Amino acid sequence: MAEHGTDEPSSRTGSPNGEGRASGDRLSLHQRLAVRELIDTELSYLHLLRLCASDIRSRLQQLPQGDLDVLFSNIDDVIEVNSRFLHDLQETTSREEEQVYLIGNLFLEFQEELERVYRVYCASYDQALLLVETYRKEPELQREIQSVIEAVVPQAGPSGLSFLLVIPLQRITKYPLLLQKILENTVPDASAYPVLQRAVSALQDVNTNINEYKRRKEVASKYARVEQLTLRERLARLNTHTLSKKTTRLSQLLKQEAGLVPRTEDKEFDDLEERFQWVSLCVTEMKNNVAVYLDNLEAFLRFRPQECDLDIAGGPVPEYCSLMRELQLQAFPRFKQRLEGLVWQPLCTLVKALAGPQNLVRKRLDKLLDFERVEEKLLEVGSVTYEEQEARHTYQALNSLLVAELPQLNRLAVRWLGQILCTFVGLQRDLAQQVLQRAEGSLAQLPHYHLSEPAFWKLVEDTLGQNGHQLRSFQENFEKVLPPPTAQPLLPGAERQVQALLSRYGPEKLYQVTSNVSGAGTMDLTLLRGQVVALLQNKDTKGNSSRWLVDTGGHRGYAPAGKLELYHVISGQEEIKGQEGPHQDSHHLAPEPIPAPVPSLPTVTQAVAVYPFVARSSHEVSLQAGQLVTVLEAQDKKGNPEWSLVEVNEQKGYVPSSFLARAPSPAPWGWSLPS
Amino acid sequence: LNPEVIPEDPVAAEDPGGRASFGTMSWIPFKIGQPKKQIVPKTVERDFEREYGKLQQLEEQTRRLQKDMKKSTDADLAMSKSAVKISLDLLSNPLCEQDQDFLNMVTALDTAMKRMDAFNQEKVNQIQKTVIEPLKKFGSVFPSLNMAVKRREQALQDYRRLQAKVEKYEEKEKTGPVLAKLHQAREELRPVRDDFEAKNKQLLDEMPRFYHSRLDYFQPSFEALIRAQVGYYSEMQKIFGDLTQQLDQPGNPDEQRERENEARLSELRALSIVAD
Repeated sequence: MAEHGTDEPSSRTGSPNGEGRASGDRLSLHQRLAVRELIDTELSYLHLLRLCASDIRSRLQQLPQGDLDVLFSNIDDVIEVNSRFLHDLQETTSREEEQVYLIGNLFLEFQEELERVYRVYCASYDQALLLVETYRKEPELQREIQSVIEAVVPQAGPSGLSFLLVIPLQRITKYPLLLQKILENTVPDASAYPVLQRAVSALQDVNTNINEYKRRKEVASKYARVEQLTLRERLARLNTHTLSKKTTRLSQLLKQEAGLVPRTEDKEFDDLEERFQWVSLCVTEMKNNVAVYLDNLEAFLRFRPQECDLDIAGGPVPEYCSLMRELQLQAFPRFKQRLEGLVWQPLCTLVKALAGPQNLVRKRLDKLLDFERVEEKLLEVGSVTYEEQEARHTYQALNSLLVAELPQLNRLAVRWLGQILCTFVGLQRDLAQQVLQRAEGSLAQLPHYHLSEPAFWKLVEDTLGQNGHQLRSFQENFEKVLPPPTAQPLLPGAERQVQALLSRYGPEKLYQVTSNVSGAGTMDLTLLRGQVVALLQNKDTKGNSSRWLVDTGGHRGYAPAGKLELYHVISGQEEIKGQEGPHQDSHHLAPEPIPAPVPSLPTVTQAVAVYPFVARSSHEVSLQAGQLVTVLEAQDKKGNPEWSLVEVNEQKGYVPSSFLARAPSPAPWGWSLPS
Repeated sequence: LNPEVIPEDPVAAEDPGGRASFGTMSWIPFKIGQPKKQIVPKTVERDFEREYGKLQQLEEQTRRLQKDMKKSTDADLAMSKSAVKISLDLLSNPLCEQDQDFLNMVTALDTAMKRMDAFNQEKVNQIQKTVIEPLKKFGSVFPSLNMAVKRREQALQDYRRLQAKVEKYEEKEKTGPVLAKLHQAREELRPVRDDFEAKNKQLLDEMPRFYHSRLDYFQPSFEALIRAQVGYYSEMQKIFGDLTQQLDQPGNPDEQRERENEARLSELRALSIVAD
């Protein structure tokens, strides 16, 4: 340092004036006093702070912690900074000549820190005051608080808490004044002078910044609150004032859109806002997609194929079932739980946190329109009202707030999103790990676990192919169990009907009813099991091929195709040829064989003679009651079904058909006996 | 016309021989009741019911298993697809163009998700081929079985009815016509009885064999199922393990992750523009 302090003015200025010397002395005395004041007040200030922070705060137990946080804010940080500050201040005392210079420097050093801690405290002071007011309204509580304060800081007086809480505010505003006082008592050409000047303006800046910060916070808290208003509440909010505000904004916006008024372009803000919107979109989309994923996971956990009971005791089947049961009890629910807690919840929180800024961005636009209108008016008229001035300031405050904080917001949001994604990935890996841990045990139990993958899958394919064959053979075997042959003996009338149908339609058209049919519609037949019908059409008029048109010999109508089976007439008919026609008898009903070709008679059945019959001619043959005969033809040469050609006792001849009772075909047709 | 009622004697009105219709044997409708003789031994019936019962259970379980397996694999596919959508949407966000780190992370995630989806699809195809299809085939045998059992039942009914008829005749006075009818009834009975016995025997043989075949049938399918799952989750562990390495994220315990989330939230809340 080139020059010494101001305590030797005569050596510096060389002024022979004794008055100057006396005033110089007075100056230096005042300076010293001012410095003394600075340091002493700092000491007592810090002492009070400490009392507040420790003694008083700890004794205000009846207040909730949240309240205490608001009241005392970051007083600990203030104390921390100020104690270092005080310590350094006290150190300067030893450096007599340079003290003022050092003090000035000290302030410049601490400028940033002081601003940082004090602005937080000041910003929350208003809220603290509100709390104090509420306490004041409760006399009981107020008394308790007072007694605590009086015990610790008797000089606080009746206003107690508010007196104490305002102290830091007073202090930070005092610094410029204290410094100013020292400066005034400093000779302008002292080396400390410029430093002191800078310190004064620095501390003034600190105060300005703190005010600005406070103002921003107020604005933000006014608009950032995302209020969940009902429609009714919103309507109630509307009054002429807000309506006029909205209409003015709208008209401003329209003017902008129409190009009548230049839009205030703020590239910096627009870029920030754009990025912010992308971030919002990213987060919202991610949240929705995770919701869908969780839904699907829930659905997956609902279905439990392992609950089936195939009555299989050992091997892969129960192994699989127990494996899946365990996984569904533990690994998967745990995965879901972690997903919900570490991915879904944070995403929801993040989305909610972004709602406030969204609101502010919107508000800023509104305020911007107001701002532009006011600017217009300013240009036209030259002056604006107080409210209009306020509108300008509000916009500027909002804008600067957003510009200051959106970059940070974007960065933080993206960082958090990235962390959430990484967590998602980690959870998947953990799930896989857990599943494998459990499954490897099961795998070792499998009969073919030693096989390589390709070999195993080939083996499975082959085995399944073989099994397919085996299944098919089972199916075929079951299908060979055919319907039982009709046990109902055909009535003689029915027999005749069958013959009639047979001769009319041929054997391929004859079907037998396999189970009783009750006709529903007018054209639907009611049929008995065993009845024989002839097929006329294998579909109905609408083309339905499961409904067949049949002829029963007496009626025509529809029958379900599923209950009709081809009437299996046994081949091996025997044509009786070349028999001499019998003489024409006086019996007009005597059979008259005609050498004309006889239609083949497919039925060869057994019958039992019900009544005895005595042959009257060589064409006829005698019967005894209960005798078994073989029916060769169920009609005579003329086709008359009243006579049947039978063989009995190695004789062939005609007998009345009605004297016979049919027995069914002896060979049950259909399935092959199992080998 | 009640199928149970069979007119015993036709009215001999159509006597071709021109003889006088002898004896107005009127219709004697009689209800075919249960035969007196127990034609199917109780033990046989019990065996049959037991075997068929087991198969009916198996049918039900098979059907249920098939349904649940299908639904489970469908849900599995849906889950995988929604995972792919997460990374797809991220990739299409303009942030990727501006932020290289973000782009890298999202690209890596997207690649992983797509690969996992492909593996999942492959797994589901394997399951379709080796489990669901065979299940369907197995289930398709049951209708044939049920039909066969029904037919045996029909045969049993016929058997019973004709047996009762024979017994009825056996109790009557042995006249000529009665003897004739008895003989006829016996003749009718014989094939029906044989038919039933044959069906019964066949089913009693086949049913247990079919039931037993489920072991050979299901074990390979389920072994394949386990292996398919293990294969898939092995890939999953590898792919996501590599990805966590790549993203340079340590495997933190959950408490730490929660604290991280709290920290991120606090950082955001410190901003004035974020509402509390």
